[in-house]
Amino acid sequence: MKDLDKLTASIIDRLKSEGAEMAHCSAACGETREFNIDGGEFSLFRTLFDNSLSLTAVIGGRKGSVSLNSFEDSAVDRAIADCVAAANSSEPDDGWGLCPDANCDRFVKGAVEPDLDRLFFRVKELKETVERDYPLIVMEQMIVSHDNVHSVYRNTSGAHFTKDAGYYSVSLMFSAHEGELSSSFLGSGAVTDNLDSPFIELSSIRRDLEDVQKQIHTEPAEGKFVGTMVLCPGTLAEFTDSIVENFASDGTILDGTAIWRDKLGETVADPRLTVSFKPKDERIVCAPSYSGEGFYIDDFDFIRDGRLESFVLSLYVANKTGKKRSPNSGSGLIIKPGEKSLEEIISGIDRGILVGRFSGGSPSSNGDFSGVAKNSFLIENGKVTKAVAETMISGNLAEMLQNLRDISKETVSDGYTVLPYAAFDGITVSGK
Amino acid sequence: MLNDIVTKRKGDFSDGAHTELRCQKNLKRSVAFLSGNLTANSRSESEGVCARVYKDGVYGFSSMAEVSDSAADSVLKAASDNADFMARHAGKGRGELPPIFAEPVMTQYDLYDPEQKLYIDFARELDSYIAEKYPALSGRGIRVYTDCMEKYICTSDGADGHAAVPRSYIYIRLTADTKDGSPVELFEPVGGFGSFSDHFSSPSALFGKVDELYESLMKKREGIYPDAGLKTCILGGCLAGMLSHEAVGHTVEADLVLGGSVAAHSLNRQVASPLITMVDFAHTFEGAPVPLPVYIDDEGVPAGDEVLIRDGILTGYMNSRETAQRFGMVPRGNARAYSFSDEPLIRMRNTAILPGKSTLEEMIASVDDGYYFTDTNNGQADTTGEFMFGICMGYEIKNGKLGRALLDTTISGVAFEMLKTVDMVSDTMTWASSGFCGKKQPMPVGMGGPALRCKVTVGGR
Repeated sequence: MKDLDKLTASIIDRLKSEGAEMAHCSAACGETREFNIDGGEFSLFRTLFDNSLSLTAVIGGRKGSVSLNSFEDSAVDRAIADCVAAANSSEPDDGWGLCPDANCDRFVKGAVEPDLDRLFFRVKELKETVERDYPLIVMEQMIVSHDNVHSVYRNTSGAHFTKDAGYYSVSLMFSAHEGELSSSFLGSGAVTDNLDSPFIELSSIRRDLEDVQKQIHTEPAEGKFVGTMVLCPGTLAEFTDSIVENFASDGTILDGTAIWRDKLGETVADPRLTVSFKPKDERIVCAPSYSGEGFYIDDFDFIRDGRLESFVLSLYVANKTGKKRSPNSGSGLIIKPGEKSLEEIISGIDRGILVGRFSGGSPSSNGDFSGVAKNSFLIENGKVTKAVAETMISGNLAEMLQNLRDISKETVSDGYTVLPYAAFDGITVSGK
Repeated sequence: MLNDIVTKRKGDFSDGAHTELRCQKNLKRSVAFLSGNLTANSRSESEGVCARVYKDGVYGFSSMAEVSDSAADSVLKAASDNADFMARHAGKGRGELPPIFAEPVMTQYDLYDPEQKLYIDFARELDSYIAEKYPALSGRGIRVYTDCMEKYICTSDGADGHAAVPRSYIYIRLTADTKDGSPVELFEPVGGFGSFSDHFSSPSALFGKVDELYESLMKKREGIYPDAGLKTCILGGCLAGMLSHEAVGHTVEADLVLGGSVAAHSLNRQVASPLITMVDFAHTFEGAPVPLPVYIDDEGVPAGDEVLIRDGILTGYMNSRETAQRFGMVPRGNARAYSFSDEPLIRMRNTAILPGKSTLEEMIASVDDGYYFTDTNNGQADTTGEFMFGICMGYEIKNGKLGRALLDTTISGVAFEMLKTVDMVSDTMTWASSGFCGKKQPMPVGMGGPALRCKVTVGGR
């Protein structure tokens, strides 16, 4: 195996000798073992051996980046030449920067070595459990894998990180069928660092299978009404991603189109809402340990008690706008749970919709969204009633946060996020 | 080099098992200006070798990020071991795949791969034009993106071949504020199959595109939200292409049929108006190349067209060699992989509804109260055929005439129901190829269609 410590050190030295005042380099090699089930049957076993190498140089304020998957001498020589040429062709920009500290550390995370026999046992067990307990389910695809990676990072500030990480992941795509009738498909899954529990008990996999079995017979919602939208944890993650992207991320802050660009420290949501990015939380299995600029990754609150605490910004955009860099780039999403159970929350809703999946376009820059509520149920007089089809929901992301009705005390952890259910008033639901 | 490594290994393939060996190189070049800041300036390349072995109804696969004889030996052995493991634990008692008797399919394309400076200078000049001519815009973005996928394929019982798919695009995004300060934006991709120089001679040649996009944005800025509900609408050609790909195409991929898509029960049934014929084109339409031509797939199948819907009747699925055997159909070259570390999956190539006989003017004049949707920024669909498309540009139609522009909205429906409402099809085609289809792996695809008059649910606000 190539000595990645030596390789990265040599690349940094060579970029400096080419005139780079700042440079960083990452090299990694990884292995994947993956079992696939398609159409309910075992179909494929893959083993992958991959490399990656990325280098960035800033020369006279001009930045260039190159990535490749070879450690061969000739490929590395060409990558260095390409990187220098790309930087020299670029424009000087004082926004580029690195962490000034010579941070050095070694991280070992998760299950670096796979237990392949036990992994195959868990895959078979999951397949057989679904066939036995959920007979209406057709498994379009099940992918179960173990990934490990050995990576090394260095930069011209003297930072040097080494990381060995490994994890198991399970990803399911399925629908339920009865004769010619079928539900919509739903994806479910999790990432974990151990094989102690059957996969069916991870994340919301069991509940998702149960719900989809109840979604074969659907009806459109009747007419149009303004009511309460209860987002399941996976859908809440998607809405939160859109909120960050539209109102608080690099692109929209830099070009000035984020409607929250001047709202730091102000109330943007109901005071019961706290949204954090905590990659160091023990429930987050798969998260970075250091940034491309050489900073240690750390936790932060995005919204605390309804107040906008931080944007989600890189060092570059922070330097360009005079705003503060965020301690991570938005990994490890955790939303603080509430006091009531989901059942209690639903019991107080006269008319609304429980949304298992949202099929919608990217919300507009102003936060307007609309799309189809998939894998969803109507809520009527405090009860979950019928599964719906051809039913659209629409609203505005910024207004939605002010109209929080409640947050559940139950949370779902899938290894990437820890999220409750959340209910929002003032959402337009339109059927036929 | 890539070629040598795969072709000379044929003698090493295991007896009694279908084997594929592939060497592949992918490259990407990217430059982005965001409101005048050069925020991306990168080049990336990946290459390697992979093998897949089919035995007793299951596959073994392995890949390595190295192009060498020893890497080819390693992946052949690992793929064979993996196939043995699967056959031992989950073999299905299925026989060998029917062989494909065909000559090698060797396509040639000489990629021109310029230095990064050319892309940066081009994008900078275009960005400067926008900044100087339209200073009131609240945001602007220019992205230059090129990629190329090149592969050599060698199979135990199919055709061998070489394939290259280079693409080059410039994406232009403009943002303006409405009177109440709310941002609205429009986005336009320009380019297609080939090297950058095949499409872009000078930045000034794109100034007209920028001006058109700005004009549309100014109309949208004054736009209205459409009324929600089931409406008579005209979907522009790019929406018909999106419909072909997302809402119908995925449901007739044979692996998704086996996974429970709506098309499992619809073969040989009326699923659309008799005006609708839909084809997944391999490489040629009306004597000219389609946006992203495919001549051979990664299972060694020479590519041909697959007619999916003829005169409103569902007539076929898109297949791999394995699903074709199961359905008793003919594989036509749909099994494709995105990178060297990916196994072939059933993928669309250039999926399109064929043009009809109406003119767009006649179609608009025929609508008393409805909408003409001209552009979409995204689309999603279910295996039930239920779809949702984001509409980023359109106009109201009142008494047969185009009216005010529309703000962003969505349309939705169920494909096989909505297609039955089509009662006029335009005589022109619009093709698109600038995006990726996502299905475990990304994949460049083409899609196209004429304008369709139909009934569809409009999301309103």
